[in-house]
Amino acid sequence: MLLKAVVYATLAYLLIPLVVIVLFSFNAEQSFSFPINGYSLRWYTLIFEDPQLGQALVKSLVIATATAIITLVLGTAASLAWLRLGRIGRSVLEILCITPIALPGLFLGVSLLVLAAQLGVRLSTVTIVVSHVVLSVPMLMIAMRARLALFDRTLEEASRDLGASQIGTFRRVTLPLIAPTLISCAILSFALSFDEFVVTSFVAGTETTLPMYIWSMMRRTVTPLINSVSTLALLFSIAVMAIGFLVGRFKRASALSERASS
Amino acid sequence: MTSSQRTGGILAAPAAIYMLLFFVVPAILLFSYSFWMSSGFRIVPDFVLTNYISAIRSPLFLRVTYNAIVIGLITASVTLCLSIPVGYYLTYVARSKIIFYLILVTWFSSYLVRIYAWRTLLGTNGLLNAVLLQLGIVHTPVQAFLFSPFAVAITLTHIYLPFAILMVVSAMSEIKAELIEASRDLGTSALGAFFRVVAPNAAQGLVGAFMLTFILVAGDYVTPQMVGGSSGQTTGLLIADQFRKTGNWPLGAAQAFLMFLVSLVIYALVLALGRLTGLIPARRKTKPAKEVA
Repeated sequence: MLLKAVVYATLAYLLIPLVVIVLFSFNAEQSFSFPINGYSLRWYTLIFEDPQLGQALVKSLVIATATAIITLVLGTAASLAWLRLGRIGRSVLEILCITPIALPGLFLGVSLLVLAAQLGVRLSTVTIVVSHVVLSVPMLMIAMRARLALFDRTLEEASRDLGASQIGTFRRVTLPLIAPTLISCAILSFALSFDEFVVTSFVAGTETTLPMYIWSMMRRTVTPLINSVSTLALLFSIAVMAIGFLVGRFKRASALSERASS
Repeated sequence: MTSSQRTGGILAAPAAIYMLLFFVVPAILLFSYSFWMSSGFRIVPDFVLTNYISAIRSPLFLRVTYNAIVIGLITASVTLCLSIPVGYYLTYVARSKIIFYLILVTWFSSYLVRIYAWRTLLGTNGLLNAVLLQLGIVHTPVQAFLFSPFAVAITLTHIYLPFAILMVVSAMSEIKAELIEASRDLGTSALGAFFRVVAPNAAQGLVGAFMLTFILVAGDYVTPQMVGGSSGQTTGLLIADQFRKTGNWPLGAAQAFLMFLVSLVIYALVLALGRLTGLIPARRKTKPAKEVA
């Protein structure tokens, strides 16, 4: 079947470059030969001898955690607002919080650089976090909008009618229903921030995140060390993504069962 | 205003203010920068069109913008051509979770790693050349794979395809499978059903995927730098260099807004073309209400 062939060819195109990187990270030799002559872990052991790599990794983890937390706070409030706002309010929220996704990172990067320069703010970890939140809020809003289209407002009304306070309703009804999406979004913004390079390169100043370190490695050397670092970065992204989806699943299931039993 | 709406406004405020401060204000500032003057190493507030004029007069800017448009259109077309069958397959033929997750894995795999992977594949000492040499198809490594517009297009397609597929899937998942079955029962071919049922209904999503790919490709500056060589430069790289190397920020800002303008023109052309060919239905006055009242 032609359609199936096209789909599998596309999938191969998407996956082969990633597989090649992983495969060659175990290559015993410096150069490419096909088939691979010998396997070794030497490029992985080199990683641990590089202190700068460790520092960059820690910095990226800190930035990604801060980004995820801020996005979660802003996103939770915005999605609760989404449930209450009228058409105009929703449009305003949409324009402010979703459109940035359609702009190239370059544009956001240089405009934030200009802002920092104008305000006389020193480029630092803080400016990086600020820029990463701008990138991850739109992603969260898109996911939340899809989730909230299915949200049943009558559940909140029923809870209020039964005498629950506004905060009680939020804690016992609304939050459990939207929590799975919020948590998987927070994890996705962690992954997004951990990998972000384009915007970061403009607002980082002298700070070095993991992608920026990989970038400088890519430019100055051609050692297969990049393959092993890349493989670990790849595994990490996949792991974070998997956790995000599993948490989303688990929370959704428990929220549903709670609803069914109460 | 009801009290619920007022609470909504208060709750929306943190995110809205944040995006206003760090997205809208910087964008406006960048726009005003494009009218400022750069003299020596200083940037002075002004209102001049010098930056726009010198951008349009610069042969380099015109050449890389032409490059960006060509690479952008090719990448966006190929991306759409690949994401439509994949989206169709995932929505109507087999709801394969495995394929879906594999696409997500590529989407979430590191941007830089993917660019590096294409360097590895296409380079003079790269894998493709190693395989071709081993098989005796070529006798000297082919230099032309890397550092060409082709390398830029194939890498950028790889980067933005997963996102386009997800957009196409979400656009198609709103079209009921029964509509396609009905059109098939009425005697249309599979291809006919696609053009007469799926395409018009998913038009917004398809155009969205095309335009988003185009805009992101034209603004990408890392890929052209890593795999483009001098023939594969795009406007994104030129703009980035104004901010990182040359230090002429007003000129860079003007170039960025010119590129933005180009994107708008192409968007208008795509819409006009779609309406002309009937693939995009004329805008409906009211959207069917889906919200829960």
